[in-house]
Amino acid sequence: MPSSASKSVLRYLVSIFVVAVFVFPIAWFALTSIKPISAVFNKDRVVVFDFKPTFDNYRVTVLGGEKENLVGGQSASMGTSGKGAYDGRGSIMSSLIIAVSSTFLATFLALLAAYALSRMKFWGSQGYLNWVLSQRFLPPVAIIIPLVFIFHDLGLRDTHLGIIIAHTLINIPIALLLLKSFFDDVPIEIDQAAMIDGATRFQCFYLVVLPMIRGGIAATAVLCFIFSWTEFILSLFLTNTIRTIPVKITTFVTSTGSEWGYISALGTAAIIPGFIFILLVQNHLVRGLTMGAIKD
Amino acid sequence: MASVKISKLEKQYGAVKVLHSLNLEFADGKFVVLLGPSGCGKSTLLRMIAGLESISSGDVYFDDVRVNDIHSKDRNVAMVFQNYALYAHMSVRKNMAFSMRLKKVDKKIQDEKVAWASSILGLDDYLDRLPKELSGGQRQRVAMGRAIVRDPDVFLFDEPLSNLDAKLRVQMRTEIKDLHQRLKTTTVYVTHDQIEAMTMADEVIIMRDGRIEQSGSPMEIYDRPDNLFVAQFIGSPGMNIIECQVAEDSGVLYAVLDTLCLPLPVNSNVSPGQKIYYGIRPEHLIAAKAPMSFGSSSERLKTESGVVRVVEPTGPEIHVYAKLAGQDVCSISRERIMWAPGDEIFLQPDLQHVHLFDGETQIAL
Ligand SMILES: Nc1ncnc2c1ncn2[C@@H]1O[C@H](COP(=O)(O)OP(=O)(O)OP(=O)(O)O)[C@@H](O)[C@H]1O
Ligand SMILES: [Mg+2]
Repeated sequence: MPSSASKSVLRYLVSIFVVAVFVFPIAWFALTSIKPISAVFNKDRVVVFDFKPTFDNYRVTVLGGEKENLVGGQSASMGTSGKGAYDGRGSIMSSLIIAVSSTFLATFLALLAAYALSRMKFWGSQGYLNWVLSQRFLPPVAIIIPLVFIFHDLGLRDTHLGIIIAHTLINIPIALLLLKSFFDDVPIEIDQAAMIDGATRFQCFYLVVLPMIRGGIAATAVLCFIFSWTEFILSLFLTNTIRTIPVKITTFVTSTGSEWGYISALGTAAIIPGFIFILLVQNHLVRGLTMGAIKD
Repeated sequence: MASVKISKLEKQYGAVKVLHSLNLEFADGKFVVLLGPSGCGKSTLLRMIAGLESISSGDVYFDDVRVNDIHSKDRNVAMVFQNYALYAHMSVRKNMAFSMRLKKVDKKIQDEKVAWASSILGLDDYLDRLPKELSGGQRQRVAMGRAIVRDPDVFLFDEPLSNLDAKLRVQMRTEIKDLHQRLKTTTVYVTHDQIEAMTMADEVIIMRDGRIEQSGSPMEIYDRPDNLFVAQFIGSPGMNIIECQVAEDSGVLYAVLDTLCLPLPVNSNVSPGQKIYYGIRPEHLIAAKAPMSFGSSSERLKTESGVVRVVEPTGPEIHVYAKLAGQDVCSISRERIMWAPGDEIFLQPDLQHVHLFDGETQIAL
């Protein structure tokens, strides 16, 4: 038997290794974003730290500064794209609007449905749940063409509302399933106790059960947000002028070259809102909110 | 406060009937205990009174108002659940005040009520804690507190003490009874613990498989069980039951099993050859180290000898388990006779306290 000290050293080593594996691509990506072009595209060797940091990539993509077309091949692509081609500010705004709205909508709608499915036994409730889940059986790309036509006819193509609806629809099944399992964890006697205390069905839901699963709601919202924030294919097909961040970044890959500096700068910047969002809800991401409700 | 009347109440889950046409009446202010083995339908009946379970057929009345179609929240009952069902995200204070908050009771009255309840229940120091920061007994008292601040018409308790340790259970038993004597609210209390039922109830209702076996005051049920099931269910240790046959010897009737010959009370409603269950409570089975001698009037009494198996001193009493003609019997005595396993023991039923049940119908004779 290894001693507990060597066990814990081993544990540390393993966790450091795992974290390193996961963090490396992101760290490299972030590092690239502050490298000058000469360091990104160095034909002779891989430049790791020995470069002069520049925030030029952020200035252009996040702050909307002018792209410097310096002579001497300082730009990766030769094309002189239109003014503002690398300005990511609009995309950040669009992505924020879409991700926040669709997260809110999906979570809200799924909450109501999940409570009903968890608490009320009505005809077809199981079938309904399976049907909702079946909406996720097809990958989004399989329905993209009909969706484009439908959205076009409804006037929803290339609108924020359109993508919000699309993302909400994709997120609802998973949110519903998750939230239902959280509701199922709350014993039904809690609702009944509240009802005997004089609560209406809605008061049971709102005042008693909802606060008890707020950890689950937070987790669900994080998942919805991350999906919407990173979703690519639907946003690509459903829009022309509105460009969410993932779509915008792909336009930095041009026929004449890839702007790795800009890609990594906008990409790194895009990690931040999700990160902040998770920090905000992380306090609620604790298990065991129903602890103490029942005798165990 | 209200009386509760239940008339032809039935409950069915699909094809399975779990309550069979129950008729019951609980007078205003009474403490009624529903007692029965696990799965007999006690909780179901209680939940139907609370309005949490739909009624398959029959009626429930509070006073003379039929409440079948009245929603739980409007029935003005308070319930303590088998698992407490506290609001985990609310402090003890908020848990107790929740019903008043919904009714928009004046904040000052809310505080007064909570203070009153917490002082009765000894929760003063815990008002700002969350349920998860309390012990099981304290949680149980919070559940009680939530009920008593309500001034309900009826209190419903579903095995509230079943998870407490023995000492706390005894203490809470007294507290609940005391509370009932102060508040005088009609109370329906579910338990499968016959000691709880005996000690707390004004009226005990014994259920089995969705039917009522007997109802009455604890002592009535203890002294005069209607049938074998009730006789065996009530009392701890349970009544000794010996399945035997009535025989006649020179004009006197005995209950006979193999070599065992038990005296029958005079005027017993039995006839020779009849199969009967002979019941005698342990405290009425007198034990001695030597054959007992009786006066001339008791000439036909016989002491039966057996062998001691297990001795359990409880303090005030000694429980002796013995083998008597192949039957396990128990005798309780307050005398400090020292028994050892294997000792010969002479047992003598107190004829005034013999219970006889028909061998076929199991109904008291
Ligand atoms: N939802 C249900 N569907 C089908 N049968 C049920 C349902 N709920 C309860 N039952 C059955 O009804 C019967 C009575 O249940 P109930 O909960 O009233 O028993 P109980 O007397 O309270 O038992 P315990 O002492 O174990 O709590 C049981 O046999 C149980 O199997
Ligand atoms: Mg029960």
